Amino acid sequence: MAATDTTAERGGAPAARGFNPVAWALAPERRGGLLVAPAIITLFVMNIFPLMWSLGLSFFNYRANRLTVPDFVWFRNFERVLTDDDVWERFQTTAIVVGSSVALQLVIGFALALLFAKSFPGRRILLMLVLTPMMLSFVAVGVFFKLFYEPTFGLVSQAVAIFTGEPFVVLSTPTGALIGIIVADAWMWSPFVMLLVLAGLVSVPKYLYEAAEIDRANWWRRFRTITFPYIKGLLLLAVLFRTIETFKLFDIVYLITQGGPGSSTETIAVYVYRMAFQYFRTSQASALAYIVLFVVIVLTSLYLYAVRRTSEAR
Amino acid sequence: MPTRTLALLGTASALAIAALAGPAPAVAEDIVLNMAAPDWPPTRFMQEEADRSYTAPSGNNVRLQIDFIPWPSFYERVAASLTSGEQKYQMLVTDSQWLGSFIEGGYYMDLTGLIAEDEELQAIMQDLHPALVSAYSTYPHIPVTELQEYPDPNANYYGFPQMPDTYVTWYREDLFCNETESADFEAEYGAPLPCTYEDWEDVDWERFDQIGTFFRRSAGDALGDGTADDEFYGIAYQAGKGYDFSTMQINAFIWQYGGSIWDESTEPEGQAEGVVNSDVAVEAFEHYLSMLEHMPPAWQTGQMDIFQIQELYLQGKVAAIINWVGLAEPVLDPETSTVSEVSAFARAPGLRQEDGSISRWANIGGQPFVLTTWNSDTVVREALDFVKWWESEEVQKKFAANGGQSGLRSVMELPEYNDYRPWNRAHVESLDWQKDVWHIPEFFELLTQQQEEFDKAITGQIDAREALDEVAEFQQEVLEDAGRIE
Repeated sequence: MAATDTTAERGGAPAARGFNPVAWALAPERRGGLLVAPAIITLFVMNIFPLMWSLGLSFFNYRANRLTVPDFVWFRNFERVLTDDDVWERFQTTAIVVGSSVALQLVIGFALALLFAKSFPGRRILLMLVLTPMMLSFVAVGVFFKLFYEPTFGLVSQAVAIFTGEPFVVLSTPTGALIGIIVADAWMWSPFVMLLVLAGLVSVPKYLYEAAEIDRANWWRRFRTITFPYIKGLLLLAVLFRTIETFKLFDIVYLITQGGPGSSTETIAVYVYRMAFQYFRTSQASALAYIVLFVVIVLTSLYLYAVRRTSEAR
Repeated sequence: MPTRTLALLGTASALAIAALAGPAPAVAEDIVLNMAAPDWPPTRFMQEEADRSYTAPSGNNVRLQIDFIPWPSFYERVAASLTSGEQKYQMLVTDSQWLGSFIEGGYYMDLTGLIAEDEELQAIMQDLHPALVSAYSTYPHIPVTELQEYPDPNANYYGFPQMPDTYVTWYREDLFCNETESADFEAEYGAPLPCTYEDWEDVDWERFDQIGTFFRRSAGDALGDGTADDEFYGIAYQAGKGYDFSTMQINAFIWQYGGSIWDESTEPEGQAEGVVNSDVAVEAFEHYLSMLEHMPPAWQTGQMDIFQIQELYLQGKVAAIINWVGLAEPVLDPETSTVSEVSAFARAPGLRQEDGSISRWANIGGQPFVLTTWNSDTVVREALDFVKWWESEEVQKKFAANGGQSGLRSVMELPEYNDYRPWNRAHVESLDWQKDVWHIPEFFELLTQQQEEFDKAITGQIDAREALDEVAEFQQEVLEDAGRIE
């Protein structure tokens, strides 16, 4: 009798009272699955299905603004995209933006973290202010910098004009425009790097610094042998996050330069957008998006490889 | 009289009264006409006026519900809605250039047959300015020079004007009518500054260029009756990389020079190479580029779009600009404009021809509104009734009195029409000079590449010849792929 009760409680085989579907579904061995089901369903509907659908599209010659029945074209879209000079030019631009912006974010983020690792009056308020940019929306930052760089009444132009007497046009050359975008992106995301590095810095045991001081180790030695090993993992994480995010940079570029002058600041994300929603080459855009995804996966794998090697070296 | 007989008589009387009152649905349906439209005064007025005074003649409870979308994301939102298949809208305000793309996609409804069955709609089509019928309604596109009065047997009709638009000159009367400035200008260029509308009728690009040079002032320089408190510029026109913000102005130069863009009405024989990059097109483009140096430096960044030049003018930083009349309303508002009391309007300059006349070909702006293909018969009937209401003389007069523009010739010819707004005369007189850019599904592809190449030339990375060669080569390839060029 006792055994029968236990089975019924678990929602297992129906007891003499009859089958209870609620009890059956909530049985401990099924409860886990039931709890994660909403997340899995949402993930499937919002991510996996569209991902699979766009993968399928990339093998057809489908255009969203045509009624013609699309043909299966195998890998022709991938071939066209990979042999398109414009695509490689955009990858090159993206690489320059990623390399420069992430490097700048690391330098500024690191410097800020060193500053905020020590106590000083007003530190909390200042820290909050420094963190503000990363909390703003991309659109707000884009519009802000667009006005900031505006040559007639923008702050940068007005400030430079005090010394030169001439309006300063930051975005008039490809190099200037690239710098403008890199600065805007670095301004927004350096606080994120700072936050990660700061977390690493405060985790360094104080006694290590005290021991180093007794040994009269200089600043560089202390940094190289104590500080850096502690923050290396977090720094790599910051590099990974920022590289992936910057690789997909769209909003800031679109708002500040629209990819110009010409196409000199058009990143690969902007080009995917143009291909999908302006050129309406839907299938080619899907193929290009998958290539971008592949590049991001490769970058992530490289990071994981680097982390593993670091762990093994320890 | 027995009670039963009384009841029967009452019912019969009620039925007779109902029959005399005219046809009415047995039960009034609630119908909402969802419409996608850009968020700006002409569409806001449409919503307000519909809420205020529209009653469906069918007796149904028909309500217009406009989904106001900001201009910068308007195309993306419309394209996403249509191509996703959500079938949200019964009507849409659309740029004329999108017709091909969304008609070929099966989203916009062919109204040719419905117009042919309805005398009121036919009357509207006959009353509309032909430039608007050509640009806003026909697909495949029939150029205004070839379009016959309604009904053109070769035309398929799709849209009706929501807000016709043209670009005109906005200028500062306090500067152009200033005696000292005018005398100085005359001493330098041999003619006084254009002050009145009639004076501006004789302004060609050469004079406009001189105005640009003349009014370039630095902070502290004399300007009109005072001094410039900041850098001041003579002229401005569209030179932006976004959307169509340089193409609209460059097309005007090319047409005025006698050149051509790729002409969709000539397919499949009409070529892009040799036409788009012809010598005359290059000369026209060089002329356009040569005047940029007199403009506020935003052109160097490829950001001199219609909103930027509007803003610069409102801030009092430019003497004269060329911009759409649809954006002129804030000029009159002292809360948004520093030049509300001193602004006047004239037709845009053009190219002086050998016979002394001025060619003023320009690219038409504004938008039609269309019906979507998934509407039920009832909704189509209600939507067309709404079109008749909107294009009625009474509503169009109210629209014009509130800053809109009518496409109906009968309304534009009213004596009071030009008094509704100070730019109306310039707009009406510009309409005969309007052409339109392509309407084909490849429109955005052609436009985006062209804007990029134009932007390179504007920002000095390449010259006019290189830019047009690149444009021609790209267009030839795309149009050959699409089967539009043999």
